[in-house]
Amino acid sequence: MQAVDEFDGDTGMTCEEFATAGLDLSSPGIDGVFQKAAREHLRECPHCAALHENWLALREDLRVLGAETSESEAPSRVEMRLRQEFRTKHKTVKTQRTALILGWSLAAAAALFFAVAWVNWQMHRGMNLAKTQPNFAHVPVSTGNPSPLSQANAPAASELGDVIVASNGSGDFTLLPDSMPPAPEDATVVRVQMQRAALGGLGLTVNEEHAGDWIQVDLLVGDDGLPQAVRVPQTATETTN
Amino acid sequence: MKAGVTPGEMQIDPHETDDALLKRSDKGDERAFTELYRRHQAPLYRFAVRMTGSAWAAEEIVQDVFMMLVREPKKYDVDRGTLGAFLYGVARNRIMKHLERAPRDFSLDEKGDAGHEIHPQLHEQMTPARWAELRERREQVRSAVMELPPEFREAVVLCELEEMSYEEAAHTLDCPVGTIRSRLHRGRALLLAKLEMLREVPKRANASRG
Repeated sequence: MQAVDEFDGDTGMTCEEFATAGLDLSSPGIDGVFQKAAREHLRECPHCAALHENWLALREDLRVLGAETSESEAPSRVEMRLRQEFRTKHKTVKTQRTALILGWSLAAAAALFFAVAWVNWQMHRGMNLAKTQPNFAHVPVSTGNPSPLSQANAPAASELGDVIVASNGSGDFTLLPDSMPPAPEDATVVRVQMQRAALGGLGLTVNEEHAGDWIQVDLLVGDDGLPQAVRVPQTATETTN
Repeated sequence: MKAGVTPGEMQIDPHETDDALLKRSDKGDERAFTELYRRHQAPLYRFAVRMTGSAWAAEEIVQDVFMMLVREPKKYDVDRGTLGAFLYGVARNRIMKHLERAPRDFSLDEKGDAGHEIHPQLHEQMTPARWAELRERREQVRSAVMELPPEFREAVVLCELEEMSYEEAAHTLDCPVGTIRSRLHRGRALLLAKLEMLREVPKRANASRG
């Protein structure tokens, strides 16, 4: 305490110094010199002695007051309420966590289900298409490396513009003269539109009356790029005839 | 698992630290929370009763403090001090708010949990006259304490009623020891003044001289 620290002990203690720190006289942390001077001052000064006596009485009253409530504690209902609140809070948190996990699991399961269903649907769709009609894909006519066929049918090829590649596996092809049936894995079916007269270039007989008709023709092209067989699809035949 | 322990709870080691208990409590261990409550509720309640003078207000304050611990345990930072000091700090804020709202609401004669008076000690071995005298004196002291400004009152409550050391009180109130000393000095002087003891001093001094 400042008053205790500043007290030098050379001169007697004044009433002011006593009033500042003298009430702490019996406190364990009080300096011995200060205590001695304070006791001396108490003997000499009736005013401070009375003050000190009053303080001792008050301190005893405070001690009694403190002792009266020293055993008191919060009513048990407070603990009950708090435990109830604790349970509610943690139950809610647990429920929220469970709901969150459940929600995400359901969402993931649903996404997986739809993904599998979509893949299956795509696969079935592809298979059905392959069964019902050829799967067409437009490819440009090769001009950089012309095949003998294209060279032979130059007028027809120039008129065609695009060549349509049809799916393999369809039968009813007529082998072209001097050609061997290609292995199925080496052959590609190419659907082209040409004038009927162009079939003559492939070695087939053409009715001169219909030589100028445009027809669709499936060419079975070998891996060497030369047509090996030809087929006139039913629909094309009907329309051209 | 031992009997009486609900799933998700573990047995409490009485030497387990507050911080460890708080962590377990945060994970939903009700026993850990209950242990924490039982460790700290009594001093907090006494502090609140002595500061507010109302058992009802003290009950509310203790409940508020621990509700905060249930709802927002992250508010307590281990690096900033002990859990006890933190709870005292929270209680102190609640008390100050209460005092701002109801500055003159004091009566320590409220009934305890079981319906009896909280302080039965004074009733033993006393004549009615002595009992009445002590009761009157007690009321005067209590009133004087309750009329102290809050900052002086809390120093008096902690150091004189709760019998904390200056260092403990300083730690609890998160202030320097010197502040506690000066507040206590002022508090004591005010108490003496309120109890009109200081007025009696000159009389006594004159009487002793005479």
